[in-house]
Amino acid sequence: MSDTLTTAGRARGANARRRIPVRKPHQAARGSGRNRALGGPLAGVTWVLPALALVGVLLVYPFFRSVYGSLFEDNGFTSHYVGLDNYARLADDPIFSRSILNTLMWVAGTLLLPVLLGLLLAVATHRLRLGGVAQLVIVLPYAISGAATAVLWNFMLTSDGAVNQALRAVGLDGLTHAWLLEWPHNTVAMIVASTWQGTGLNVVLFAIGLRAIPRETVEAAELDGASGWRMFRWITLPQLRAVTVVVVGMAIVNSLKAFDLIWILTKGGPSRSSETLALTMYRETFRLFHVGYGSAIALVLSVIVVASSWLYLRRQMPNAARD
Amino acid sequence: MLAAAVASFATACGSAAGQPAGKVAIHGDNTSWAEPLAAAGAEMKAVSGLELVPEVIPSLESFEQIVKSSLRTNKTPDLLKYWSGYRLQDLARTGGIEVLTERWDEAEAQGWVDPTLRDAFTYRGEVYGLPMNLTYWVFFYNTEVFAENGVAAPRTWEEFLGVCERLHGAGITPLHATADGRWPAFIWFMEVLSRQDPGFYDGLMNGRESYTDPRAEHAMATIADFADRGWFTAMDMNHVDAAAGVVHGTLGMMPGGTFMTPNFVAAGGEPGGDVDAFVLPMADPSAEPCMIFESSALVCTVKGPDRDEALRATGTWLHPEVSAAFSGTLQDGSPNPLVGPANPMIEGITHTVRDERLRMLNRFWELGPPELVEATVDDLAGFLLDPSSYRSVLRTMQGRAEDAWQVWREAERS
Repeated sequence: MSDTLTTAGRARGANARRRIPVRKPHQAARGSGRNRALGGPLAGVTWVLPALALVGVLLVYPFFRSVYGSLFEDNGFTSHYVGLDNYARLADDPIFSRSILNTLMWVAGTLLLPVLLGLLLAVATHRLRLGGVAQLVIVLPYAISGAATAVLWNFMLTSDGAVNQALRAVGLDGLTHAWLLEWPHNTVAMIVASTWQGTGLNVVLFAIGLRAIPRETVEAAELDGASGWRMFRWITLPQLRAVTVVVVGMAIVNSLKAFDLIWILTKGGPSRSSETLALTMYRETFRLFHVGYGSAIALVLSVIVVASSWLYLRRQMPNAARD
Repeated sequence: MLAAAVASFATACGSAAGQPAGKVAIHGDNTSWAEPLAAAGAEMKAVSGLELVPEVIPSLESFEQIVKSSLRTNKTPDLLKYWSGYRLQDLARTGGIEVLTERWDEAEAQGWVDPTLRDAFTYRGEVYGLPMNLTYWVFFYNTEVFAENGVAAPRTWEEFLGVCERLHGAGITPLHATADGRWPAFIWFMEVLSRQDPGFYDGLMNGRESYTDPRAEHAMATIADFADRGWFTAMDMNHVDAAAGVVHGTLGMMPGGTFMTPNFVAAGGEPGGDVDAFVLPMADPSAEPCMIFESSALVCTVKGPDRDEALRATGTWLHPEVSAAFSGTLQDGSPNPLVGPANPMIEGITHTVRDERLRMLNRFWELGPPELVEATVDDLAGFLLDPSSYRSVLRTMQGRAEDAWQVWREAERS
C-alpha cells in the first residue's frame, strides 16, 4: 500500500534495509478499518472546533449582532426598530464625513510616511557597519505603548510644548502653531507621532527582506553594471515585493483602526475635528449611547477594513498564493 | 475546558466583584478621590462598622461606560460616585439605582445636609443620590501677584475687567480658558452667562429658553471680546499646568471648582495663603447674585453584589465625622452644614455665599439631557477656538437642544 524509500541501508544488505512508508496526496483520505475511523473526512472537525468556537463567539457573533443592532435606535436600555435609518443618518452627518476624511488622511499618511521611511532607513542602514545598532534605535519607540507615546507627544505638541519652544529658540516663530487645536494640523501631527512609533517595525521587516535577497542576484546585477538607484529600482525593490505586501497591508489595517494615540492626544477634538471612524464609533456608542448608530458606523468601518485588505491582498499576493 | 476558559474570561470582564463582609466598594472616575474616600471609609468603619473600599477608573469616559453597560447586570458596582442633576435623572430612569429619599430625610432631620441641594438629587419626587461634596465654582488667583500689581480680588464686574487689564499690561496672561479634555470648554459660557442673567441661565439649561436668544449671544460676545483682547491662555493648557501658572505668577486667574485645590497644593501653593479664590462678580448688579456649585452624588445600585451593605453605608455617609473626613482630605466644601471648612480659602468662600445670600446654580455639565451637554461642549470648544463664530455656534446648539429636549420629554412621558 505504501511506497518504499530505500535508504543508505541498502548498501549494507537486504537485512539492513529500512522501509519508510510514504503517503501520496491521493492516498491521504484513504485507509482501512481502524485508520479510516481515525482519519475520516470529519476527523479534523474535533480539532478545529475550539478555534471555530473562539472565532464564532468573538468575531462572527459580534459582527452579526452589530448588523442586527444597527437596525435599531438603541440607547443601551430601550430600543426600537428603525430599519436603515441609521445608515441614512450617516449620509447627512457632517461628523461622519469629517471622520471619513480623517480616516483617509490616516491611511494615506501611514502609507506614505512609515512605509517609505521604513524602506529608506532599512536600505540606508543595510550595509553600514553599525547598521544593526541604528536599526535597533529606530525600533525602540515601537516597544513603547500607544498611550505612553501619546503622553510623550502631548508634551511636544501643545501650544507651549517642546516643538513650539524649539521653533521659537531658533527664531522660527512664524512656524509655531497650535498643533493639536486646529484641523488639519492636529490630524497631520498625530500621523507624524504615529510614524515615529511605527516606522521601526517596518525597518525590521524590510531589513529581513533585504537579507533574504540572494547574493548571486546582486552580484550578477553588479557585473552587468547596475548600481545606486538602478540597482535599487530594478533589483532590490522587486525582491522586496513580498515584504512590501505585508508592510503595506499592515499599514492599511493599522491606520484604519487608529485609536489610542488620538484618544489620548485630542479625544477626537477639539469640536470632534480629529475623529476617525473608530473614534466616532466609540463616542456615539459609549459616550452618547447611540448604540444602533454606533453599530452602523462599526459596520461601515468593518466593511472598509475588510474590503480594502481583501482587494489589496488579492491584487498584490503572488498568483500561487491565490490558487 | 473551553467553557471554563469562557467562564473565567467572563468573570475577569466583570465590573465588580463582591467585597468581604464589612466592606463595600465605591467606584469613581477621579484618582484624587481615592484617598478622601478611604479616609471617609475609615471613619465610617468607626461609626457603623462598614468600610468603604475606593475603586477608581481614572477616565470619565471609561467610568460612565462601565456604569451604564453594567447597571443591568449583577456585576455592577455597589456604590458610585456619580453626577447630580440630569445625569443622575438619566441613571434613575433606568431603574438600576436605589431610591434614597428615606436616607435624605433622616439626614435632613439631623441637620446633616443642606436642604437646598435636594432638587439636584431628585427625580420624580424621589431622591436618588446623596451629596458627597460641595464644590464652589470660583476664580483662583495668587494673592502675592495681585498685591505686586496693586489689585485685589474684584467685587464688581468693572473691577474684574480692571484686574484683567492691569495684569495684561504687566505681561501676565489674565485668564485661563481651555478646551483640553473636552468638558472644560463650557466653563466660560457658564460663568459669564450666569453672571449676566442667572434666570436666563437656569431657563436655558432646563430647556425653557433658546440658545439663539440675544442674552446667550451677549454672553458669547463678551467671551469673544476677552479672547480678542488677548486675555486668554492657549486653549490646550490643562488645569494642572494652569494651577502651576497661577502659583508661579505667569497666569493671573483660573476659573475652576474648589475640587481643583489639590492642583495648587501640588504646585507649591497654599490655599488661603498665596492662593485664594473669589466668586466672579455679577455683570448685572440688579440681577439676583449667584454662583455655580457642583455636588457629586453617592448612588447605590439595585443589582450590586453587596447591595444591603451599600444601602447601610448610605445611611452613615452624611454623618458629620464621615463627611468631615471626606471633605477635609479632599480639601473641598461639604454638603453637611455641621462640618467645618477644609481650609481658609473654603472658609472665605462659604462666608461669601452666606453673607451675600448667593443663589446656587448647578453646573452646566449636570444640567440638560446628557446627550445634549456632550454635544454642546464640543460646540463651545469650537467657539473658543474661533470666537467670531459664536452666532453659528449658537444656532447649532439650538438645533441640538430642540432635538435633545424633544427626546428627553418623550421619554418622560413614556
